[in-house]
Amino acid sequence: MAERLDLLDPYEVAQLGGIELTAQGVVEGFLAGLHRSPFRGFSVEFTEHRPYQAGDELRYLDWRVLARADRLAVKQFEAETNLRAMLVLDASRSMAWSGAPRRLSKHEYAQRLAASLAIVLLRQRDATGLIAFDEAVRAVVPARARSLQRWALLKALAGLEPGGGTAAEPALQRVTDLLRRRGLVIFISDLLFDQDLALRALLFLRHRGHQVLVFHVTDPAELELDGPPEVRYEDPETGRGIVVRPREFRGAYRDAVQRAIAGWRGACRRSGMTYLHVRTDTPFGHVLRQATERRARLG
Amino acid sequence: MEFLQPLALFGLAGAAVPALLHLFQRRQPPTLPFPAVRYLMDAERRDSRRLRLRNLLLLVLRTVLIAALALAASRPVVPASFGAVHAPSAVAVVLDNSVSSGVMVDGRARFEALREVARAIGRRATPSDRLWRILADGIPERLTSAEWEPALDALAPVPARLDVGLAVRTAGALLRAEGLPAAVVVLSDLQESALTPASVDVPVVTLAPVRLPPNRGVAAAQVTPETWSPGGTIVVEVGGRDAPPAEVDLAVGGVTLARGLAGPGGSVVLGVDRIAPGWHAATVALAPDELRADDGFHAAVRGGVPAAASAVGAGEFVDAALATLVAAGRLRAGRGVVLGDRPDRGATIVLPPADPALVPAANQALAARGIRVRFGLPRSGEWAAASDLLPIEAVTVWRRHPLEGEGVTLATAGGEPWLVLAGDAVIVGSRLEDPWTDLPLRPAFIPFLDALVNRVGAGESWQVRAAPGEAVRLPGSGARLLLPGGAVPLGADGRIEAPREPGTYFVASPAGDTVGALLVNVDPRESDLAVASRALVRDRLSGATVVEDAAALVRAAFAVRRAEITTALLSLALILAVVELILATVGGLSRRREA
Repeated sequence: MAERLDLLDPYEVAQLGGIELTAQGVVEGFLAGLHRSPFRGFSVEFTEHRPYQAGDELRYLDWRVLARADRLAVKQFEAETNLRAMLVLDASRSMAWSGAPRRLSKHEYAQRLAASLAIVLLRQRDATGLIAFDEAVRAVVPARARSLQRWALLKALAGLEPGGGTAAEPALQRVTDLLRRRGLVIFISDLLFDQDLALRALLFLRHRGHQVLVFHVTDPAELELDGPPEVRYEDPETGRGIVVRPREFRGAYRDAVQRAIAGWRGACRRSGMTYLHVRTDTPFGHVLRQATERRARLG
Repeated sequence: MEFLQPLALFGLAGAAVPALLHLFQRRQPPTLPFPAVRYLMDAERRDSRRLRLRNLLLLVLRTVLIAALALAASRPVVPASFGAVHAPSAVAVVLDNSVSSGVMVDGRARFEALREVARAIGRRATPSDRLWRILADGIPERLTSAEWEPALDALAPVPARLDVGLAVRTAGALLRAEGLPAAVVVLSDLQESALTPASVDVPVVTLAPVRLPPNRGVAAAQVTPETWSPGGTIVVEVGGRDAPPAEVDLAVGGVTLARGLAGPGGSVVLGVDRIAPGWHAATVALAPDELRADDGFHAAVRGGVPAAASAVGAGEFVDAALATLVAAGRLRAGRGVVLGDRPDRGATIVLPPADPALVPAANQALAARGIRVRFGLPRSGEWAAASDLLPIEAVTVWRRHPLEGEGVTLATAGGEPWLVLAGDAVIVGSRLEDPWTDLPLRPAFIPFLDALVNRVGAGESWQVRAAPGEAVRLPGSGARLLLPGGAVPLGADGRIEAPREPGTYFVASPAGDTVGALLVNVDPRESDLAVASRALVRDRLSGATVVEDAAALVRAAFAVRRAEITTALLSLALILAVVELILATVGGLSRRREA
């Protein structure tokens, strides 16, 4: 591959093909840049040796091979899957919005991000499932580690269309019902709903022993207010509107957005959850890398 | 406030543009989908009050900015008077130091109060101002601010009358030529009788009239007859207003000879039985009141013996009148004065001959006597006779000979000489009988003839009345005016300026004989202290501004300094623009830095 898709502009990547193809490309690129498993399980099984490469951790160096054959070889393991991951995807109408023509909507971005994560997890033999929700749970793919699970997930993701309003709490309660064994919950949403209710549900998951990774997806146009001298902005989900002058309101709006992001980040940190703020113009590889690093730090 | 470019004021309509734009923009904002409305609402909830205040401030700033620019374009000029500073001004002060200004009001002469105000004007004046002063004499005088007060210190009420209207007109003409903001300040007791109409194109300002006390003064003293032989009377008329009657004294030669009682508007006849022959100064004095200057009146009486008179061809009326006067002791029979149709030797009164054919002979006889007056061709008509010296009021002349030549006119008919004095001869243009004139038929005929004969018999004798300083022409052969400080020669035609001090001044002939008297007295109108109403003041004095106090008058006397505030408005606009810029942009930047 001439270029690594994981580092390209998400819109450009999306133009190359469907979710499956692009997610596969992204993951390939992403994994090619890694030297170890992105999501390690609770135990591993040795599979083969490979030549040492700069950057490999020394603890995986096989000293006996070095002593016998005088060459550096690294032991490779195949993760033994007992991690159960559930991708929880917000498919509300607000996710269908894009602030620029040549930019993926939040929904499109979340689809591809979820697909990429699913491929990475399934490659580790982790049981991976999907729950999509708006006002209600729209789609459920139970967590499995079988080979066909990948196609089931990608098919479900590709078939998702943005729906109505957002009601995160019922959807997350449904997730708790579906995730009886402790595992990893990856929550992908623009978080444009009541923070207290959503946090309560996520905390419930956390209390049940799940690890929670929150992807807060925002369009860059949601971070910086811009537009005509005076405009009425209308919420596509609720129909509520407000008339503002973007030029005058820009600072106050920026403060409000940063306050909201900081609120989510702080609440997640206090609750032991991993929070990642993701702009829809960020290459997928960067997001995946950030996610693996955060997960690594959390153990 | 005035505007040098008033059309630019239409630009003020532009001040409404920000508000209109604001309203217009609010009406149809486009609607755009935006998922993060909850953040906007949160920001709006936190920031709306500040934003509303900021927007209101911006609206006000922009409105005022446009208004300031429009006003600046109209180049406004505003009064800018601070403290004693004023624009260079031309001020003419009409300071009334006439007789009436000497009246005492609350223990102080009214003139003193007026002078204090004039001093205040001088103190406020700057070297850039042009100050004029007009006193009762009506003569304008230019003074510097430094000369002003010393010149005022030397002033006092004078026995003159101020024509306020004339003075204001004079001041107006002066100030018009100055080319500066001007005002005429009238400091006067505002006697109603002195307030003649004046229309000037400069502002007139004056103090509100002050009520003056009641007053009486001697308005006139008529000596009858002209020559007392040996006695006579003086009819004293009293002027003024509201004052009670008071004692009137007549003193001749410094000795009080008669007393009477009279009040304003009344008169009293003071008789004297006998005086010595010759000229005597007489004084009529009223009891003192609040205005002393009009309490005295100067007159002259001449004592003498009755003239001897006879008539030859003068007509039966003259004959009868002479007989009456002789019987009454006013004349003596004799040839001292001869009345007839031919000039006699000595004092003579020449009437035209009844026969026109004899007129040339009469003219020849006049010429032979060296009299340069001759009878012209007879005329018929109807003329009114008039004389300042003889009692011939309402006398009509139907036939007369015009009197041609040189002499002193004692009476006129139709404006032409009718009685002419030439040396010791009096030539009459008409015979004193019907149908020449109705004089013989009138009661005045006897007194007329008495005065005429005694005048001719006594030689030259006259009295001229004048106001102080008035230019007068003295009749007869007078050569010198006898003043206390010495004799003053008269001009060639007898013209002279009357002394400024009231009094009786005798006039001497070249030979040293007293031939007449100049009686100088204050104008009797000065005794009437009725003051004009405010409305009358405004009406007469070109819509004058009447102010209550001296300070207001002094302020009004000088032009208010005016300044164009275009630069200030442009500076204000610049400041507003900077503030607007800061408010509109820098505020946003600071918030961005905080974020």
